[in-house]
This record gives sequence, C-alpha cells and structure tokens, in this order.
Amino acid sequence: MTAVEWGLAGQLALAGLGVLAALAAPARARVGLTGVLSALVGVAGAVTGIVVLSGGQGRLSLSTSLPLDPMTLEPTALGGFFMLVAGAVGVVAAVYSIGYVHGAAAARPVLAAFPAFLAAMQLVPAAGDLLSFLAAWELMAVASTVLVLAEHASRAEVRRAGLWYAGMTHLSFVLILLGLALLAAHQGGTSWAELATADPDSATAAAAYLLLVVGFATKAGLVPFHVWLPRAHPAAPSHVSAAMSSAMVTMGVYGLLLVVVRLLPGGPTWFGVVLVALGAVSAVYGILQASAASDLKVLLGYSTTENTGLMVLAAGIGLLLREHGAPGAGDAALLACLLLVASHAAFKTALFLGAGAVLSASGQRDLDRMGGLGMRMPVTAVTFGVGALGAAALPVTVGFVAEWTLLQSLIHGARPGDRLIAVVMPVAVAVVALTAGLALLTFVKAAGITFLARPRSEGAATAREAPRPMQVALVLAAAVVVGLGLLPGQLATWAHAAVEAPSAVSDTTAIRLARIDAVLVPLAVATALGLAVALVAALASTAARQAPRRAVDLAWGCGGVRSSARMQYTATSYAEPLVRVFDQALRPQRDVEISHRDESRYLVEQVHFRQSLHDLVEARVYDPLLGFVMRVGAVGRRIQNGSIHRYLGYSFAALVLVLVVVSW
Amino acid sequence: MSPSVFAQLVGLCAAVLLLSSVLIVWRRSLSAQVRLLAVQGWAIAGLVIVLGLEERSVELVVVGLLVLVLKGLVLPRVLRRALPQDAAPEREETPLINTTAALIATALLTMLAYLVSAPLRGLDDAPAVAAVPVGIAMALIGFLILATRTHAVSQLIGFLMLDNGIATVAFLTASGVPFVVELGVSLDILLVVLILQVLTGRIRTQFGALDLSELTELRD
Amino acid sequence: MVAVLQVLVVVAASPLVIGLMRTVRARLEGRVGAGVLQPWRDLRKLWGKEPLRAEGTTWVSVAGPITLLASSLVVAALTPLLGTAGLAGLPGDLFVVVSVLLLGTVALALVGLDAGTAFGGMGSSRHMTIAALVEPTVLLSVYALSIPAGTSVLSGIVRARLDDPVSVLSPVSLLALLALTIAVVAETGRLPVDNPATHLELTMVHEAMVLETSGRDLAWLELGSWMRLSVLLGLLSTLVVPWGIATEVSVTTLALAVVALLAKLTVIAGLLATIEVTLAKLRLFRIPELLAGSFALAFLAVTASYLVVQA
Repeated sequence: MTAVEWGLAGQLALAGLGVLAALAAPARARVGLTGVLSALVGVAGAVTGIVVLSGGQGRLSLSTSLPLDPMTLEPTALGGFFMLVAGAVGVVAAVYSIGYVHGAAAARPVLAAFPAFLAAMQLVPAAGDLLSFLAAWELMAVASTVLVLAEHASRAEVRRAGLWYAGMTHLSFVLILLGLALLAAHQGGTSWAELATADPDSATAAAAYLLLVVGFATKAGLVPFHVWLPRAHPAAPSHVSAAMSSAMVTMGVYGLLLVVVRLLPGGPTWFGVVLVALGAVSAVYGILQASAASDLKVLLGYSTTENTGLMVLAAGIGLLLREHGAPGAGDAALLACLLLVASHAAFKTALFLGAGAVLSASGQRDLDRMGGLGMRMPVTAVTFGVGALGAAALPVTVGFVAEWTLLQSLIHGARPGDRLIAVVMPVAVAVVALTAGLALLTFVKAAGITFLARPRSEGAATAREAPRPMQVALVLAAAVVVGLGLLPGQLATWAHAAVEAPSAVSDTTAIRLARIDAVLVPLAVATALGLAVALVAALASTAARQAPRRAVDLAWGCGGVRSSARMQYTATSYAEPLVRVFDQALRPQRDVEISHRDESRYLVEQVHFRQSLHDLVEARVYDPLLGFVMRVGAVGRRIQNGSIHRYLGYSFAALVLVLVVVSW
Repeated sequence: MSPSVFAQLVGLCAAVLLLSSVLIVWRRSLSAQVRLLAVQGWAIAGLVIVLGLEERSVELVVVGLLVLVLKGLVLPRVLRRALPQDAAPEREETPLINTTAALIATALLTMLAYLVSAPLRGLDDAPAVAAVPVGIAMALIGFLILATRTHAVSQLIGFLMLDNGIATVAFLTASGVPFVVELGVSLDILLVVLILQVLTGRIRTQFGALDLSELTELRD
Repeated sequence: MVAVLQVLVVVAASPLVIGLMRTVRARLEGRVGAGVLQPWRDLRKLWGKEPLRAEGTTWVSVAGPITLLASSLVVAALTPLLGTAGLAGLPGDLFVVVSVLLLGTVALALVGLDAGTAFGGMGSSRHMTIAALVEPTVLLSVYALSIPAGTSVLSGIVRARLDDPVSVLSPVSLLALLALTIAVVAETGRLPVDNPATHLELTMVHEAMVLETSGRDLAWLELGSWMRLSVLLGLLSTLVVPWGIATEVSVTTLALAVVALLAKLTVIAGLLATIEVTLAKLRLFRIPELLAGSFALAFLAVTASYLVVQA
C-alpha cells in the first residue's frame, strides 16, 4: 500500500472509531474522545492531501454489493488540495469542539455525526468516480443536516433553518446526481476518466453542465441559491458552522472546478461566462448583505457567499483567459481561486470559532448588544481580529495574498483586442474592488463593535474568556491566517500543482507568478511595517519617559458627561450610512415611531426605531415559489381523503395502467 | 499636423465629450448642467475644427465655427434663460432614479457603445474612428437623461446631448455631413429649442412648476 | 536609500504642506493665519504632553495611532516620489501600497470606536463608509493607468509617463486622474467631503475619531494623516507632471528630485487650498453620489483603456 492508500484507509478507520466513541463511550469521556478522534481524522486527511500534492498516488477500491463498478477513492492533485483544506479545518474545529460542546450538541447522534461529517468532506475530493463521489456527498449532506439540527429542541428557528438546509442541500444533491447521470449515460462509464471523454460542445454536455453548476452553486451558497447559508450558520453549533462554512461550502467550488477542469475541459466560452456572472453577483450581493447584517453569524454567513463568489469569479476568469490567449494570467486566476479557498478556510474558521466563543460567553448573537469584550476576552479578541484582517484582505494575512493574486491575474489578463475580455475584465475588477471596500467596513464593524467600546448589554458586561481548548483552536486558526500570509510559497506551489499550471518558482517566502512577471514577498512588507512600528514605538517610549500616560475615568466625548452605554454607535447605526447608499439594493424596512409629550407636540417623549432587512432574493424568488408549491400541495391533498377503498382503487388503477403501458 | 498630435487632439476632444456627458448625469444643479453642455459644444466644435485642419477642408472649419457659435454659445444662453431664476427649489433636479444608479447605468451604456462600434473600428484604424464610440455613448446617455429626468430643462439638455452624440458620430465617420445639411439640422435644433423654451414657460405658468412627472395624461 | 530619503522628506514636508494650505486659506479669507510652521509647533507641543487614557479603552487606543503612522511611513517609502528605483524585494506594487494605506484607515476607525463615545462611533462609521466607497475608485483608476503601462508597479507607471509625457492627455488618463483626485480628496478628508477645520459635532468625520486621543497619540494620528495627504498629492502630481523624478540614483539627481517634489507639492497644495475656499462641505448623504461619480469615471477609464487604446 502506498502512503496515500494508508491515509485514505486511516481516515475511514478513524472516522469509524470516532462514531463508535460518540455512541458507546461513557458520558464523561465522550466529548473529549470524539473530539480527539475527529481531530485525528482531520490530520489524516490533511497529511494525505499533502502527500498527494507532492506527487503521491494511490487507489482504494471498496466493492459494493450492487451490480456496479466498485467505488474507488483516487485523489488527484486538485482533490488533494481540497483534502488538505478540509482536513486542516477539521483539526481546528475538532480541537475547539472539545471545549465547546455541551448541552444538546453533546447528544450521542449529534456527536457521532461530527467525525462522519469531517470524513465525508475529505472523501468528496478523494472520490475517483461518480458513485463514491455521490455517496460521500450524500453522507456529507446528511451528517451536516444532523449537526445543523443539534439544538432543534430548544430553539424554534433551528427547526426552520434545518428544513431550509435539508431542502436546499438535497436539491443540490439531486441536481448533481442528474448532471452526472446524464454524462455517465452518454459516456457509458462512471469513473472520472471515462466521463471526461465527453465532447464539451455537445448538447448533453451543456445540459449536464447547467445541472451541475446549479447543484454545486447551491452547495457553495451562490446567489440566488444562497438562502440556506445565513439560516443554517446561526442555527448550527459554532464548530459546525466553522467546518461548514470553511470546508463544506468550498466543496461546491471543488465540484465546479472538477467539472470545468477535469470533466469538461476546454468547453465553450459561455461555461466561463456563467461562472463569472454567478461569482460577480454573489460577491457583491453577499458582502452588501453582510455589511448591513447585525447578527454576527448571519454576517459571517453572507460573507461566505461573498468569498465563494470571488472564488467562482476567479475560476471563471481563469477559464476565459486560458482560452482567450492569456494562459499565464489564466493560470494565475485559477491559482487565485485556490488561494482564496485556502485563505477563506483559514480566516473563516477563526471568525466562526471566535463568534462561537463570543456567543457562549455573552449569550448574545446580536451585534447591537455586544461591546467591550476585548477587555474580558483578550485571546478571542486578538484571534477574531486577525481573522477579520484576513477577511478584509489586509496585509499581512493570507487573505491579502489571495486577493493580490486575483488582482494581478486581472491586470495581466488585459487583452485589448478581445471583445468578450474587454467587457468581462472591467466588470470583474469593479466587482473585486467594490467587495474589497465593503468587506473592509463589514469586518471593522464586526470586530470593532463586538470587542471595543463599552458593553451594550448585561451579557456582554459579564462575559468570560473561553475555555482552554477553544483558545488553542482559536490561536491555531489565527496562526494559520498570519503564517500563510507571511510564507505563502509552499501553499502557492501546492495550488500550482493542483491546477496543473506549469510550476512557477515559488520559494517559501514569495509568490512568483512567473508567466506574468509579478512577485509578492509578504515578508518584506511585514518587515517594512515592523520596522516602521518599531521606530514609532521607540519614539513613543522616549516620550513616555517625560510624559507618562495618565488614566482618567471619563472619556471626553465633547463634554465629559457620563453618557449611557446606549448612546454609543451600534452595528446598525454603524452600517446606516452605507445602507442608505445602497437603499435600492437592500430595501430595508424602517419603522420610526415618535411619541410626543402631552404638553406639546414639540417635545418628544420617545423615539422608536426599528429596521429589518429581508433577503430580497428570498422575498422575490423563493416566497412566490414556495407559495405556489404549497397551493399545488393543497390541491393534491384533495385526492387523499383517507378512505381505504379509494387508496386501493388508486393502486388498482396504477396496476392496470402499468400493464397497459407494458403491453403497448 | 503630425499624425500623433492629431490623434492626441482627437483623443482629448473625445475625453472632454465623455467627461462632460458623465458630469451632466452627475451634477444635480441645472445651471451646472447647462455650463457643462456648453463645454460639450466647444469640444465638438474643437473636434470638427481639428478634423478640418487635418483634412485641410475650409468647409469643415467653417462648420466647426458654426457649431461653436450654436452649440457653445447660443443654445446654452437660450437654455439659461429657460432656467427659473427665482424659485430656488427648482434649480435642482430630482431624478427618477438616484444619481448613483444613473452613473452606473452611464458606465454600462458607454461599454455598450464601445461594443456596438467595435465592427466599425475594425474597418478603419484611424484615430477619428477610434472616437466614434464616444459619440454613440453620448447619444445613449442623452436618451438616459431624457428617460429619467423630470425637469423640463433637463429634458432639453438630454435632447441636446442626444443631438450632440449624433453630430459627433456623423463628423467622425463621414468627416461631416454636407454643409447645407448641417446648416439645416442646426437650424432645426435651434428652432426646437426655442419652441421648447416657450413651452417650458407656458408649463410653468400653467402648473407653477417644471416637473414633468405631473404630465401623466399623455393620451387622447 | 531612495526610500529612506523619501520618508525623511515626506515627514519633514507634510506638516509644512498642511501649514501652507492653512495659510493660503487664511489669506484668501482675509485672515493672517498661524504661519506655515504652526503644524510643526503643534506636533512638538503634543509630543511633550501626557496622553490621557479613559477608563474602558483597550490597547487599541495606544496601538492604533502607532499603526497609522507606521502605515504612512511604509506608504511614503513605497510610493515613487523621488526616484523610480524602488526597494529591493519590495516593489511599490499598487495593491500593496493601497492595502498598507487601508491598514492605517482601519487602525484609525478602530481608535474612533474604542472609547465608546457617540462621536467616536459616528466618525468611525462615516470614515469607513467613505473608505469603502473610495477603495474601489482608487483600485480601478490606478488599474486603468496600469493597463497602458503593462504593470501594476507604481514606479513602472511613472516611468511610462516619463517616456511619453503627452499620454496624460489621453481619455484614459484624464478620466482616471480625475477619479483619483476625487478619491484622494475623500480619503484624506478634505473639502467637500470632510471639513478638516470643523469641530461642529454633526459634521465631523476625521475630527470625531480623534476626539478621545491626546498627547503623543494625537501627534502620531495627525502626522500620519498629514503624511498620507502629502504622499497622495505627491503621487498625483508625479503622475500628471513626471519630470524631475530621479531615474537613477546620484546626489545631483536626487537633490533635483527633492526640489522638484517640493515645488510640485507647493503648487498642488496651494491649488487645493484655493479650490477649497470656494467649496462648502457636502451633506453626508450627498458624498456617496460624489464617490459614485468618481467610481463611474474610473470605470469608464478602465473601459476606455481596454477599448480605445488598441495595442
């Protein structure tokens, strides 16, 4: 057996052990044991991914009792990259779960679903054929549904979210199944290699492509199939939201890459255009909703839509540029896509885990009721801050590296002669630039309102720092965000291998996009920044000797009045100017009630301000659709009146009908 | 005139035309819009004169001077007189779609203009032809203003911009229409504007405002 | 070497630029003004004063000002103001420069939030809204400039300008420079976006954020913001008038470059101050229109650079 085969088998075995431990271990050891085993599943996945990316090969066949080909696990470099990402996220989330899981989330089935979920996420990219892919995909869907529903007994919104999630995730499964089945029926085989022989220009390929794109886009949370994302993330326990957002959602991106790079390579131009359009709309819509959101986890959920949007945008640009005479820039765009995947996994893990720590410490999810947590939860504050820097793509985080690569590919992809490129590129640049700007505001809001200023509620005022295992996981995630931001070379080499781009000379410290002549040495930027900070800090400490800092008990605030904490800016008011700017896109509902004093109309007693934001896509697309389905269902119920004779009659009629059809 | 200087001058005129069109969409103040329209008139005149000098055609230069007088001086003056001088609230525009959206639409329209004119530019590599999309963009933006503005004077401005765009395209592709035709069109425009000016005056006395969104019963 | 010199020149000159702008404004308004050196005197005074730290503030209030100044220093080192020979291993890549600049923006916004006062939050919110809308414009417009030059390295763009100075009149560069100017004005909090002289509560943006800082913290914030202004104005003027910048490193060329830079800064600062006298501050909710306009201009510039300038 090769190392890869050992790794694959090890994952399965460890996951099995994890499930067993969750179901059978004594109550006291259950959470810890499952957590450790889940972390080991992640380690196995990540290591296998690294071996595959360094050229390792292997193949694991599992025979089924069905009269079909055996299911094979045979990861390629692309799959290896996603295995690495999923595994790394799994490790951190599992370590976190040891300190975090309690209450309903510690129930046996929920606990058992977690290692199964992690293993399924690593098996999806490892799958070498349609059957194993679908099996792993379904396992991932079911296990995550169980996890989302963990707290269904105590919170009503969890049940609703679970329904949405189960519905959407199975819609995605069915579409993918149909798409792959269409290809398989046409090609007469189930392994990726056999499917890849399809002619990408044929009508079958086009139909399959559309089905697969919608299916994977649903999993990736792209607009307009994103509606489950902002619901499922707040409903799920935080380590699950972290794993779902950082790894599971990107499996949708893996699926799209699988289709365009492996199954239907060299497809017609509109393949790429579809991806660019989906990605651009999702990126802008996601970040707009995120910037206006005031629930921390909803904010992060929408920001996931933004990030997957950017990934898919990069993938689409990569396809277009490869075909339109700029292969160097095209490779850079695909590289950017994978770097975005990795960076999103890193910072979103840190952010979701941080949000979980804040949630369980303060009991608040509403940003408007937080504040001042930085003093009480310093570790969480710093790690969340690092994650926020990554999400805002600022140096020196891995988010910055990814965004830099994307922008470089866009600049060097300029093809003045080509009409399509000439339209797509400016729009893409505008989209990337706009999302970058809005992401900045969103994450300053998220971090600043949560951790700075004074507590806006009782819960926030009495919050305590998270327990040790959670802190370890948080620090780990933040370290990856900064570490990869400083030394992105190895990651870039792996990503190069994954998209089968001619390997560029990337050393550990630098990213070199050799074919488009662009270099980024984050360490140099960090050194320059560090030097400058050291210089100013040295000056400051000299000055501090003459004039030491003096503590006062009152902020100035234009008058030094002891103002109430409710007079501070909240998340809603922070985003208010921006929401006004994008009024027509967001359409918030505002209620202002002013009650006057009895004596005079000019004296105001109270002002009530309520603002609610509804997802416009949901209101305009899904609500009418669901209403229609409900009406059809109501009509359908009429044929079902409970009479046993009628049901027997239906069966009889069906039998006769079948016989008639058969004898035709 | 050396070819590169010619190309630069045409490019400059095109840039000013495009810039002034965008700025007209951007500014709300009607008097500023009129001023920008005058700048646009000068830029067209400049363009025509440059073309005339390049082709050593006296006729084009004369047409250019005519354009300068008409679009750069007379029409803006007429428009300015149509502006309400006294009523402060009426000096500003309240467009049907907000300015931000209008600006983004402007950008997209410009892109469209470049796209539709791509075949034209395939025919000829001359710098004059490279500026054609700007003319088309102006016409489209003019239409956008016509469709989204409520003030009668803005309607006029949109109309004039539409005409400016068409004139620009005509000059750039055919090196100008025959002198007589240009003269006729210019007089037509002048007449239309004068009639509309009178009309705006009537509307104002009738409705007390120049907001055309009041005019909703435009059927028999 | 060039970078260090640039940082020194910018540090020395930026308070003078502010002083000059204030003096020009004062003279045009018929006042005497405090003199060109006043910002330097302010800095010296703040340096010697003890900073106050209100209860409930975190380390962000201490680290934020330092970060802002540090980011300005790095930006001053990376931007080609005196010479086109950048730092080894650290090219003045546009995206790097912009993101380092944003690092300072974020630091300032967090400082505004830290004390938990109404005004701090207000300033921070407005500041970030403006920054969120400015960033796309900056990226787009310099992107438009970088397409003809074929590189996103700023010194490369400046060098391309030096080779072909007439290209400043092309539609791409006119549109992009106008957009960039608006973006710079907004980013540095000048009129009509923010009134740097105001302390009227409801109109403050920048001043609202720095209300709670005092002593050397305030000095770092002020110097950092002034440096941003000088660097961005210097970059703008270099893009319009590239002459004087040193393409090779020698004492004479550098001396010439310093003189040229100071002259450009004087002219552009004087010009800006003169224009500012004639402007009133825009209502906050009109600012997005202004920025959307500059965004549209930048977008047009990119479009034009793809479609007009055929290689």
